[in-house]
Amino acid sequence: MLQKKICMLGSFAVGKTSLVRRFVESIYSDVYQTTVGVKIDKKNVQVNGAEVSLILWDIYGEDDYQKMRWTYLRGASGYLLVADGTRKATLEKAFQLEQRVREEVGVLPFVFVINKSDLLQDWEVDPALEAQIAAQSWNTLRSSAKTGEGVEEAFALLAQKMIG
Amino acid sequence: MADVLETFLAEMGFALFEYQGEGSFFPLAQLPAWFRNLWSESNSATIPLALPEKSLFLENFLFEAEAFWASPTTVGCQSETWIEKSPDGREVPLQAKALLLNGKRVIAIFSPESEFREQLRTLQTARNALLDHERLAREIQKKEILLHCIVHDLSQPLSVMHVAMDCLAGESISERSKQFLTLGKLASEQQETMIRDILHTFADDLRASLDAGTEATASADLFECAQKVMTSLGPTFDAKGVRLSVASSVQANAQWPVRAESSRLQRIFSNLLENALRYTPAGANVTVGVEDEGAFLKAYIDDEGPGLPKDLRPEQIFGLFMKGKQSDGKAGLGLYFCRITVERWGGNIGCVTLPSKGSRFWFRLPHAAAAAISSTSRAAASSQAQSAGGGKPPSHPLRILFADDQKDIRTLTTYQLQRRGHKVVAAKNGKEALWRFRSGKFDAVLLDQEMPGFTGDEVARAIRKAESGKSRHAFLVASTGNNGPDDIRRLKAAGFDTVLGKPFRLDDLEALLASVTESAAPSHLPAPVPVGLKINFTDLVARVGGDEALLKRMIGTFLRDTPKRLAAISAALRRKDAADLASLAHALKGSVSIFGAEAARLQCQELQELGRAGDLTGADRLLTSLKEEIANLLENLRGYANQTPARPASKRPKRPRPPRKRVKHRR
Repeated sequence: MLQKKICMLGSFAVGKTSLVRRFVESIYSDVYQTTVGVKIDKKNVQVNGAEVSLILWDIYGEDDYQKMRWTYLRGASGYLLVADGTRKATLEKAFQLEQRVREEVGVLPFVFVINKSDLLQDWEVDPALEAQIAAQSWNTLRSSAKTGEGVEEAFALLAQKMIG
Repeated sequence: MADVLETFLAEMGFALFEYQGEGSFFPLAQLPAWFRNLWSESNSATIPLALPEKSLFLENFLFEAEAFWASPTTVGCQSETWIEKSPDGREVPLQAKALLLNGKRVIAIFSPESEFREQLRTLQTARNALLDHERLAREIQKKEILLHCIVHDLSQPLSVMHVAMDCLAGESISERSKQFLTLGKLASEQQETMIRDILHTFADDLRASLDAGTEATASADLFECAQKVMTSLGPTFDAKGVRLSVASSVQANAQWPVRAESSRLQRIFSNLLENALRYTPAGANVTVGVEDEGAFLKAYIDDEGPGLPKDLRPEQIFGLFMKGKQSDGKAGLGLYFCRITVERWGGNIGCVTLPSKGSRFWFRLPHAAAAAISSTSRAAASSQAQSAGGGKPPSHPLRILFADDQKDIRTLTTYQLQRRGHKVVAAKNGKEALWRFRSGKFDAVLLDQEMPGFTGDEVARAIRKAESGKSRHAFLVASTGNNGPDDIRRLKAAGFDTVLGKPFRLDDLEALLASVTESAAPSHLPAPVPVGLKINFTDLVARVGGDEALLKRMIGTFLRDTPKRLAAISAALRRKDAADLASLAHALKGSVSIFGAEAARLQCQELQELGRAGDLTGADRLLTSLKEEIANLLENLRGYANQTPARPASKRPKRPRPPRKRVKHRR
């Protein structure tokens, strides 16, 4: 079976682990538990009629305390870039990470996910900015690990982009 | 011995393998329990294992390990923590280390369980704190925005009231009506102060450090503030039958300058007087006094009430939410406000039961030099003088563009400005303002900030853009209720020359417009002062209406403020903050113009233009020349100021002011 490695990238507490848990185990917890180190999960999906095993590398969120090791991206076929729609600063971090990936690893397929769409009352991302991001030909989706909105779609879209 | 070592390593939790190439690892010791449980391995140490097949993380780490074995470094090669799931669903933290031992390529894998939990706890705490901080910052921002909206909404009707009363004052009305009008104005000013206080108190909490500098340099007249409040509260005292008077020992005509901000100082008097009134029975007295204590000036309010509560220490009385027995409807913030404000200005506050009857509430504030009377007070004084003159038309009528979406404010302000001789074009929104600006010529543009369509900021930016490359620059005034330090910086960056707090008084606006008149009509300035020559002080005295004392105060202020302004310009240049440079140079230009220092004025003008163009090339050189010019000017002014007769140390200089009567209210 075809295997594809996907890395989860984004600032801390944007919901990377929650997205993986929702996608792989259909579980969600409201309690924020920070990730230390790397967790690897697998899920098989159908892409264009063929079964593909997605290897999900859930990497700790980058901040002042933990810096990304770019060697984790070795062998990755793509990545899910995650930001928190209720914290505008996490979008800035996502933009920086995308640029760093290009510099360190090269161009890789990715999908940009603005998570926590269940908290629209606290949404800090200007719709104009979202439109601007989409206009850059970035594949952008809103998601909620809590409700499941956009989660399957994001991974499916990324798988599609990786398989080509 | 080898057996012992092997057992020891297993006991310590190390799984040790020699790499044999192609993903194959040979165990060098017994496999520890965690390893066997995790990957369901037997205890055998004789079979090579394909570790990369067991762990995708190890597969990735092998690349780093191979690079290390190929060219070992002293730093070593160790992985970060990764998590594997055991068959029973437990998460096992692991780390791996590549070693080169006696030429053998070795990998040690271990489970740093306790360190991992500790690291997890620490990071969880730190990140929770960061998230809390972010949440709090967002909450504060929301509250600030909400507060600004409230202030804006509260300010709008006040603006109308101010302007309407100004209009009324100019009509032919009876003396009695004038008295009512004065009371109405005082009340609306009091309300305005309260609104500003709310805004400033919140802003102070958020930006205490930013405000600290301004707090330290502002000054106000202690007795003048007391008198204003006494006048305003007079009817309330009358209504209760309490006599309010000034202590007989007070020299009413002396100056009582203290380091404080006038509106908040009045609020302190207001709180203390209201407190005294609450506890004073009808027919009794409340007396206000001021005393000179050298480095400090002291104010006190004596009442003839029951004295301080016996169960409270004086310092407790000034605590937060401390309410007395007769304080229905009060939040217990009044005396607390007094204490924090007085202490912030470097003073102290207290209270004591008087030996005869009642209590005394007092506070002392640092004495400020007579010359340090705030520009606000001077502007007010000058505007009072203007009002006394019956609102004479200005010597140089200006062409003014005035935009405000509030019809009442627009109509009344236009009427008042026209009555003062200016030519006014009114616009009802930003779009119209911009269109009018483009189709006319204006000396000054007064823009409300919050207008539908284009905001004041946007219009200002468009005007500055339209002006770029042209020599003429309109004087842009922002009119806004949100005039905190951050707002002012933002507005100046948008191109405004100055900011007028809303609700504004026409006299304040007129004072600002006077500076436009000065720069628009240089022929009316005193003759330019060439470098090295003495200033014509006779001209200057004549220019301030023959009031030499006023001129000396202006010089005092100039001598005090100018080095700070130059330092601020230098700092803006160091920061390469073009907008700030333009605004600071503009402000200094206005000051030097007063003394007719033409060379310095032109240099300020040049600096201002460089700042506005955003091109700071040559600004350093220009600033150096400006400093020389200013040094020369300061020397001239200092020489003039030193010629003034020395004052007796025990007596304060008198300054001209309308004769004051002892304020005494009787029922």
